[in-house]
Amino acid sequence: MITIRQQLSSPLQLVALASAGLIILPLGYVMAQALSVDAVVWGRLWATRIPELLFNTVSLAASVAVITLVLGVSTAWVVTRLEFPGRRFWEGALVLPLAMPTYVLAYLYSYLLGFGGPIEHLWQFVAGPQARLFSPHSYLGATIVMALDTFPFVYLLTRSALLNMNVSFEEVSRASGVSRLWTLWRVTLPLMRPSIVAGLALVILYVVSDFGAVSLLRYQTLTYAVFQQMTGRSDNSAASILSLFLVSLALLFLVTERWFRHRSRFYQTSGHYRSPQRHQCGWPGTVLATGYLSVILGAAFAIPAYLLVNWSFSMQAQATLDSRFMGFVSNSALLAAIAATGGVLIGLPLAYLASRRPSWLNLGCLQAAYAGYVLPGPVAALAVLVLFTKLVPILYGSVLVLIVAYVIHFLPAGLQSLEPALQQITPNLEEVSRSLGLNVRDTWRRVTLPLVRNGFIVAWVLMFLQTMKELPATLLLRPVGFDTLAIRVWLEASEEYYQLAAPAALLIVIVSLPALLLLVSKDWRAA
Amino acid sequence: MPYPCAASLAGRTVSLWLFVLTLVLLAGPDFLPSPTSAADKLIIYSGRAERLIKPVLDAFTAKTGIQVELLSSGTTELLNRLKAEGDRTPADIFITNDAGSLELARTAGLLRPLNMREIDRAIPQQYRAPDNSWVGLSGRFWIIVYNTTQVKPDQLRSLLDLADPKWKDKIAIPNSGSEYLQAGVSVIRATYGDERTKQFLVGLRDNGGNQVYQKSSQIVEAVAKGQVAIGIVNHYYVYRHLAMQPGAPIAVFMPDQQEGGMGSIMNVAGIGVIKQTKHLESAKLLVEFLVAQAGQKLFADLDKEYPLHSEVKADPALIERKSFRAAQVPLTRLAELREPTLTLIEQVGLR
Repeated sequence: MITIRQQLSSPLQLVALASAGLIILPLGYVMAQALSVDAVVWGRLWATRIPELLFNTVSLAASVAVITLVLGVSTAWVVTRLEFPGRRFWEGALVLPLAMPTYVLAYLYSYLLGFGGPIEHLWQFVAGPQARLFSPHSYLGATIVMALDTFPFVYLLTRSALLNMNVSFEEVSRASGVSRLWTLWRVTLPLMRPSIVAGLALVILYVVSDFGAVSLLRYQTLTYAVFQQMTGRSDNSAASILSLFLVSLALLFLVTERWFRHRSRFYQTSGHYRSPQRHQCGWPGTVLATGYLSVILGAAFAIPAYLLVNWSFSMQAQATLDSRFMGFVSNSALLAAIAATGGVLIGLPLAYLASRRPSWLNLGCLQAAYAGYVLPGPVAALAVLVLFTKLVPILYGSVLVLIVAYVIHFLPAGLQSLEPALQQITPNLEEVSRSLGLNVRDTWRRVTLPLVRNGFIVAWVLMFLQTMKELPATLLLRPVGFDTLAIRVWLEASEEYYQLAAPAALLIVIVSLPALLLLVSKDWRAA
Repeated sequence: MPYPCAASLAGRTVSLWLFVLTLVLLAGPDFLPSPTSAADKLIIYSGRAERLIKPVLDAFTAKTGIQVELLSSGTTELLNRLKAEGDRTPADIFITNDAGSLELARTAGLLRPLNMREIDRAIPQQYRAPDNSWVGLSGRFWIIVYNTTQVKPDQLRSLLDLADPKWKDKIAIPNSGSEYLQAGVSVIRATYGDERTKQFLVGLRDNGGNQVYQKSSQIVEAVAKGQVAIGIVNHYYVYRHLAMQPGAPIAVFMPDQQEGGMGSIMNVAGIGVIKQTKHLESAKLLVEFLVAQAGQKLFADLDKEYPLHSEVKADPALIERKSFRAAQVPLTRLAELREPTLTLIEQVGLR
C-alpha cells in the first residue's frame, strides 16, 4: 500500500516544495531587503512616519473591532434568539455587505457623507443650515465604512456559535434562579467568547490589510503607506521597512484568530442537545427588531446598492459602456480565471500531501502557503516585484508576475476549501479501488477526483472572485492593456467621478452575489 | 445551514468555468510575455491623468491611423518600472507630468535622443533636454486656487506665506508622492535654501492637517465646495473645473509675483522616446504631432495648459502668460534636486 502513495508522492513532493518555495520566497526576500536597509533610513522613518502609521492602523483596527462586535453580536442574537416575521430573510441578508468590496463602499460613502452630500443636507435640515457633519475622509469615516463592510464576519461566527451552543447550560442557569440578563452575561457570552474573538481577529486582519477604503478615504495606514512609498519613491527600501511592520502586525492577528478558533471547538459540546428556543416577538418586538436590522443593512448594503444602480443608469455612466468597457470586463474575467486555476493547481499538491503524508515537511509546506494571509496586496506586489526583478527580470512586466502575486495572495482562501475536501476521503477508498484492479491514474480519475470535485469548485470560485475584486497588486503590476473593472472603479472614484465608476462597481457586486452563497455555505472567512 | 449547499451551485459554476476557459483559450496569445497582438501598437507609459492625455492620443490615432496602447499610472512608478524592465521594456513612449522625471529617465539612459527639426523649431530650448531625448509639450504653473467667497486675492502673496498658522485647516495640499509637489519644493529649495524650505513645509503640513489629497481635481473640488478656502494645484485643474461648472466660486492666484519674489513655479509635461523602441517611425510621428501647432492647440484647448509652441495661444480664460514671471530654476535641474528634496519632505513628515 505504501507503494501507491509513494508512486504518487515523489514527483508531487517536488511540486509541493517548489510551490511552497514560490510562496515563501518573495516574502523572505522583502523581509531580507527591509533588514538590510541602511540604519539612517530606518532612523528617519522611525522618527517621522512609523509611529503615526502604527497608531493610525492600530486605532482604526480597534475602533472597527468595537463597532463590529456590537453590530455582529447583536444582529446574530436577534436572528437566532427571536422569532418574528421575516427573520429568515434577515438571517440571509445580513451577509450581503460582504459582496461589496471596501473601495466601493468607501467611494459611495465619500459621496453620502461628503461635504454638501445628501446626509449633510439632511443634517442641515435638522440642525440648521450652517451645521457641518464630520468628513468621511477621516478616522471616523474610515471606521464607519470598514465596520459596515466587515461586521458580517462577526455576525456569521457568532450566529453559528449561538446555533451550535448547548442550550442546557443556559437552562441550568435559569433553573438555578439566575436572571435572564445575568445568564446572558455570565453563561452565554463566555461560551461564545472564542468565536467572537476569532471573528474580531479576522475583522482586524481585514482592516490592517485593506487598501481600497483607506486610499479613497485618505486615511494613512501602513498598507496605504506601502503603496504610496512604492509609487512615489525611486527605491523600495522604505516600502519594505513598512511592509515588515505590516506583516508582523498581520501575523499577530492571524495567530490570535487561529488560536481562538481552535479553542472554540472545545467550548462546543457535540452529541445530543436541543437547539435553543426562539422567543416569539409580539408586534412591538417585531417592529423594533425589523427597524434595527433595516437601519444596519440599509447603511451597509441597501442604500449603497441603490446608489450604484441609480448611477449606473445615468447618462454619463451609460456613455462609458463601450467596447473599452467590455475589454475591462474580459480582462477581469481572464486574470481571475487564470489566477484561480493556477491557485487550484498549486494548492492541490500541497493540500494532498499534507493530508496523506503529514510529515513535518509537508505540513510545513502547507503552512507556508498560508503566508498570503499576512501579505496585504501592496506587500504581495512589492514582494513579487522585488523577486522577479532580481531573479528572472525577463518576466518582469508580463502578466505572469501579476498572476503569481494573485496566487500568493489568495491561495489561503482556496486552501481553506481544498484542505477539508481532501481530508474527508479516506485512503482506504483508493486502496480498495487499487485492489479491485484500477491503476493509479484511473483510481485518481474515478474515485478521488469525483470525491473532491466540489471542494475544488468552491476553491476555484473563491479565488476567482477575490482576484476579480483585487485592487492594489493589480494597480502596481498590471501589464500594458490590462486594466480591470476594479482598476476602473478606483481610477474614476479617486477623482470623484462617482457616476463613471458606478457600472464597473455594480458589476463587481452583482458577480459577487451568487458566490456569496458559496462563501456562506462553505468558507465565508475568505470574503 | 439554511443556505443552499455548494453542490446545487456546482452545475452553474461548471458552466461559468467553461465559459471563462473559452475566453482564456480565445485570448491565449495575448498572455505571452512579449505581447504579439500588440506588436503594431505604439505602447505609451503615461504618468499623466488618462482624462487629460487620452483625447490627444485619440486625435493622433484619428489622423495617422496608428493605434496606441496606454498604460496610465504614477510617473515615478512608471519610471521605476522602465528601469526594472530595462532592455526588455515593451514601452515605446514615456509621457510624464514632470520634467524632473524625464531628466531622471534621460540620465538613467532610458531615452533616445531625437534629431528632429520640427522639435527645434516648435519648442524653445529651455523646455527640452539639450539632446532632445525629452521634449516639453505643455507648461503648467503651481498656483493657489482660492474660494472667492472666503478669500480675497489681496490676502495672498507668496506660496511661502501659506505656512502661516492663519491658514490652519483652511488649505488643501497634494500628497508627498506627487511629482509636481516634489518639483515645486525643489524650486523653493534652489531659491531659498533648505532651512527656509523646511519651515515652509512644516507650516504646510500643520495647516493641511487631514486635507492631503491624491488628486489635484479633488483639491479644486474641495475649494469649490468651500470645504477649504485655498489649495495648491497646477493651474489647469482650476480652469478645467470652471469650463465644466462656469459658476464655481474659484479663481487662480499666481503667487510670488511681488517685488523680489521668486516668480511662479513652472513645470512642463513632456514626452520621451524609449531607447529600445521598435517603432521609432511611429514614435517620431507622435512627437511631431504633439509639438506641431495642431497638437499644441489640443493641450491648450482640452487641457487648459500653456502651449510651449510660441505661435499657439493659450486659452483666453487663462491669465495672460506675458503678465507674470516664472521662477528661474532650469527644468533640467529638477532631476538632481529631487533626491535631497525627497529626504527633506520625509524629514518633515509630509504625508
